[in-house]
Amino acid sequence: MKKTINSILRHLVLLLLAVVWLIPILWLFVTSFSAYKGINTSHFFPEDWTMDNYAQLFLRSDSIVQYNKWFMNTLVIAIFTCLISTVLVLMVSYTMSKLRFPGRKSLMSFSIILNMFPGVLSMIAIYFILKTFNLTNSHIGMIIVYSAGAGLGFLICKGFMDTISVSLSEAARLEGASEAKIFWKIIIPLSKPIIVYTVISSFLVPWGDFVFAKLMLNSGIATDWTVAIGLFNMLGKSMINKYFSVFCAGGVVISVPISILFLIMQKFYVEGITGGSVKG
Amino acid sequence: MKKALNAMGNYFKNIGIAFVKGDVWVKLSAVLMGAGYLARKQVINGIIMFLVEALFVVLCVGYAAPNLAKFGTLGTVQFEQVFDPLTMTSTVNDYDNSFLILLNSIIALFLIVVFIMFWIANMKAVYRLQVRKENGEHINTFKEDVQALFNEKFHITLLTLPAIGIILMNILPILVLVAVAFTNYDQQHMPPSALFTWVGWSNFKSLFTDSVTVTFGYSFKKVLTWTLEWAVLATFTTYIGGILLAKFINNKKTKMPKMWRTLFIIAIAVPQFVTLLLVRNFFADSGIVNTFCTSIGLTDFLKNVGLVPSNLSYIPFLTNPGWAKVMIVIINIWVGIPYQMLIATGVLMNIPEDQIESARIDGANPLQIFIKITMPYMLFVTGPSLITDFVKNINNFNVIYLLTQDVYVTSDQLLANSNAKEVDLLVTWLFRLTNEYYNYKMASVIGIIVFIICAAFTLVTFTRTIKGDKEEEFQ
Amino acid sequence: MKKKVLATLLATAMTVGCLTGCGGGAAEQPAAEAPAAEAPAAEEPAAEAPAAEEEAPAVEAPATAEEGTDPVANLIAATTGTVTLKVWASEEDQDLTTKLLDDFKAAYSDVTFDITLGAESESTAKDTVLTDVEAAADVYAFADDQINDLVNAGALQEVVANYTFDVVNENATGAVEAAAVDGKVYAYPMTADNGYFMFYDSSVFSESDVQSLEKMIEVADAAGKKIAMDISNGWYIYAFFQGAGLELKLNDDGLTNTCTWNAAGGTDVAQAILDLTASNVLVDMSDEDMATQIAEGNVAACVNGTWRAETAAEAWGDNYAATKLPTFKAGGKDCQMSSYSGYKLVGVNPHSANVGWAMLLAEFLTNESAQTARFEARGLGPSNLNAAGSDAVQANPAIAALAEQAAYATPQRVGGNFWSPAETLGQILASGNPDGTDLQELLDTTVEGITAPVE
Repeated sequence: MKKTINSILRHLVLLLLAVVWLIPILWLFVTSFSAYKGINTSHFFPEDWTMDNYAQLFLRSDSIVQYNKWFMNTLVIAIFTCLISTVLVLMVSYTMSKLRFPGRKSLMSFSIILNMFPGVLSMIAIYFILKTFNLTNSHIGMIIVYSAGAGLGFLICKGFMDTISVSLSEAARLEGASEAKIFWKIIIPLSKPIIVYTVISSFLVPWGDFVFAKLMLNSGIATDWTVAIGLFNMLGKSMINKYFSVFCAGGVVISVPISILFLIMQKFYVEGITGGSVKG
Repeated sequence: MKKALNAMGNYFKNIGIAFVKGDVWVKLSAVLMGAGYLARKQVINGIIMFLVEALFVVLCVGYAAPNLAKFGTLGTVQFEQVFDPLTMTSTVNDYDNSFLILLNSIIALFLIVVFIMFWIANMKAVYRLQVRKENGEHINTFKEDVQALFNEKFHITLLTLPAIGIILMNILPILVLVAVAFTNYDQQHMPPSALFTWVGWSNFKSLFTDSVTVTFGYSFKKVLTWTLEWAVLATFTTYIGGILLAKFINNKKTKMPKMWRTLFIIAIAVPQFVTLLLVRNFFADSGIVNTFCTSIGLTDFLKNVGLVPSNLSYIPFLTNPGWAKVMIVIINIWVGIPYQMLIATGVLMNIPEDQIESARIDGANPLQIFIKITMPYMLFVTGPSLITDFVKNINNFNVIYLLTQDVYVTSDQLLANSNAKEVDLLVTWLFRLTNEYYNYKMASVIGIIVFIICAAFTLVTFTRTIKGDKEEEFQ
Repeated sequence: MKKKVLATLLATAMTVGCLTGCGGGAAEQPAAEAPAAEAPAAEEPAAEAPAAEEEAPAVEAPATAEEGTDPVANLIAATTGTVTLKVWASEEDQDLTTKLLDDFKAAYSDVTFDITLGAESESTAKDTVLTDVEAAADVYAFADDQINDLVNAGALQEVVANYTFDVVNENATGAVEAAAVDGKVYAYPMTADNGYFMFYDSSVFSESDVQSLEKMIEVADAAGKKIAMDISNGWYIYAFFQGAGLELKLNDDGLTNTCTWNAAGGTDVAQAILDLTASNVLVDMSDEDMATQIAEGNVAACVNGTWRAETAAEAWGDNYAATKLPTFKAGGKDCQMSSYSGYKLVGVNPHSANVGWAMLLAEFLTNESAQTARFEARGLGPSNLNAAGSDAVQANPAIAALAEQAAYATPQRVGGNFWSPAETLGQILASGNPDGTDLQELLDTTVEGITAPVE
């Protein structure tokens, strides 16, 4: 008897917590179907339901809402970002984990400190550096912004590679394989979880960043934007009362692919992070 | 430290040796970089070296020299534009842009330093070749040199590309930022229309002076204190919360753990900026939560208790300093716990069961087990990532900015006088200074200080992981 | 003063023009293909100019002064290839601007244009422009309070000459003043409605109620409604202090402020705001919140601008009314609340590669017909005297209220150090001075912040 009550209590607590965590998400979801475009402050659920917000996103592009374009822009940027970032991260992690060369440790300390430097601080300088190469207001510039410094984020990946036994590469080396071959044929296949983790987490970056994107894509032309700027823009002072429910619809739409990726990534995320941090 | 000095000593000693003992080709290499290679019949290496040198000279003359010449003053010719109303065209003079001069000079200096290092390496390599030849040892063909890049020198091959990216996106911007801290680059001195110049340490001085009108020093102390408080609170609440939630869900008595976990993960699958902007409207002064609290009488209750100022008809979730700070931490818990739960789940699965079992047999209750066994293990495993989180929270721009920008108005007049707010972290304050007030010089000073704080924390914690040779143990 | 400077400038411009004319006369193409269709607009104002105002030294004189040299025709003749222009207009103005851009292209059909239109809110234009002036649009709209910063940063091309209409004389004097710094005109007035006044629900308040804030609070309290005003905002709190005769102005350096809010009478105003908000009927509320609260029916009156007219008209229907700001009692006296008069302007970026075309476009976007179209499409009050004089504009309640308030409004000229301290003062007073700081001390600190030197 006591056991059952305990069990019920336990699940009730969990349910309560889950509700707390999901209420804002639910609000996002239901508001995206609201016929009232502004913020509804007296009712949680919309009074009139409609699909119009989604229609506005996908079918009625105007100079403010260009959702299809934004989505494509972000997708392209995200694909290239994750490709480049992953390659860079793997290169650095492998070097730091498996190769021994003079200055390796000081180089690692140096990069870790460098990685702690918040990007917001150096934004303006980055902007003008890219401007000298005429890369502002271009998606190539955005890809560079998101991926060029990726090499610094090698720590988790390196931690994971540290757990791959040296004996494998030793054996290959004895057979006369070059370091490059060992990298391609042995380490990369064994690092699958961490690669998936790196790919997905770098893929997500362009979907969530609005600070850099807003500075770099400053032409004011909506078709150039990423989803994040577009949505952020909808909550500007003069827009919020006409676009709040459209914003919610946009939020729901980008959450779908990201949620799917996240659920796939869940396993690798845990494996990657804990694999990378299981060390003293 | 001594080791580093020794290494440095050796570095320069080797060039000395190369100079003294090198033959005419080695000495000629100091001027014509390919010479030493050509003499040892490494023609392609020689040509490459020569081309690098030629490129460098061209860069020096065409790019570095004109910029560095103005580096001392950061430019003297002000922008002037004349519009001719009759032809309706405008002519612009050949003006100096201080920022571009600064940026290009730093890039040029960087290139020069890199070239000098390259030159030194070249001298040493050329001398090594001479020694090898004298001893009758094998001299690599070009093909063998290339192959080496995929073998014993593979690290160079792998690191080149990432290094270029990092230099471009991280190192150069940081150098520019450091330089700007010593200039008067602000709204009154904004290129291209105006020039700015060097001012020495005066920006650092004004950060720490507490004169009557310039309240920067006061604000800096306040903001720094809250930044650190926030970082500690945000890190530990989500960390502990994540572990507790993970334990709760993974407990054998919990049915369907996977479903529960997924429910919490949904909350983080929506991009952070969407949820934060949403939550901000959720808790707005006239938002839906307030409507709800008023209708159930919570607002009046809190008013009676004195937690809500009596002249308000709403709960100032994000507009009163006390409330806002608490709410921000709570919302951060909401955002952060699912992540921590995921990590904790992974670590907890690896926890040695036998220890817990034996403790249970010894009669320890669950709380004791948690404190004595689970927590130390968790801390041991996730220590480094905990510190990383702490540093990330110091710079947690998104949460603070998205929740308070345009909503929160400070009621501390001294903070207001230097454009700061009670809820600002150093990064958000800095962002506002640059983005709304164009006070680049002070923003750079604060940026340097944030960097120093973060670097100190990182160094202290990561020396253990990096310097200790533990990484070999698992291989 | 301003007119004099303009005249001097004009003289200089003419000399320059003459010099270039003499030097490169041969190169100048005769206005053979003078755009007969487009030209009339250029000549009209010239014809009107003498009759218009007594002291008006027609600014666009260069356009007709030199015999046979029509700058616009010259420009068209000198233009080869595509003219690329970037334009920024606010999100709400996109449709109208798109249409106007098409009209512009049609009006100068001899030239190939590549005009891109971007969305940039007038209230934030400065932030984006100043971050990188060179990358900013060639022609952009902005609110007049930003003009000092923009001029200081060299982001505005001085309006040294007009080509299609007389900017100075065809626009309201206040609008031209707002577009000028140190007597030089730097922008083209687009609307004259960026100030604030009182919206109210006439089923709650009578016309006599809205004369005094105290009376309004009494009536609203009885009706269980709120009166909203964004008190924790420097732009609005100015209404109280200025209304009580205290001073806030920009110094001649264009950067720092002079402020006497802590002088005698200042504490009376602060006390008045405390008393007014203590009732909990006059509430401190942001503009976005007002929109929802009006729609929800909680707010029956608010201090706001024309941009909220639509919301208010929708919510209150036939009872929608607007008037000047009321009076309030400070130190026993009735003081008429003041306000900032605001204008939206269009500026030309001096870094533009096609300054000439950018100026023509700016003129086109702000001329009488464009302003009329803007009023018809969005209810924005024109700054153009002819457009503003039309019956439709006169009948608009919001614009009428703004005109009524105009007598008590001042142009917004204030240095950057004003906003943050004033906002905080409003926040403290609206929340009932929770720390119980001495009011004089409170004002002293605020004034210290407002008048702080700019290094």
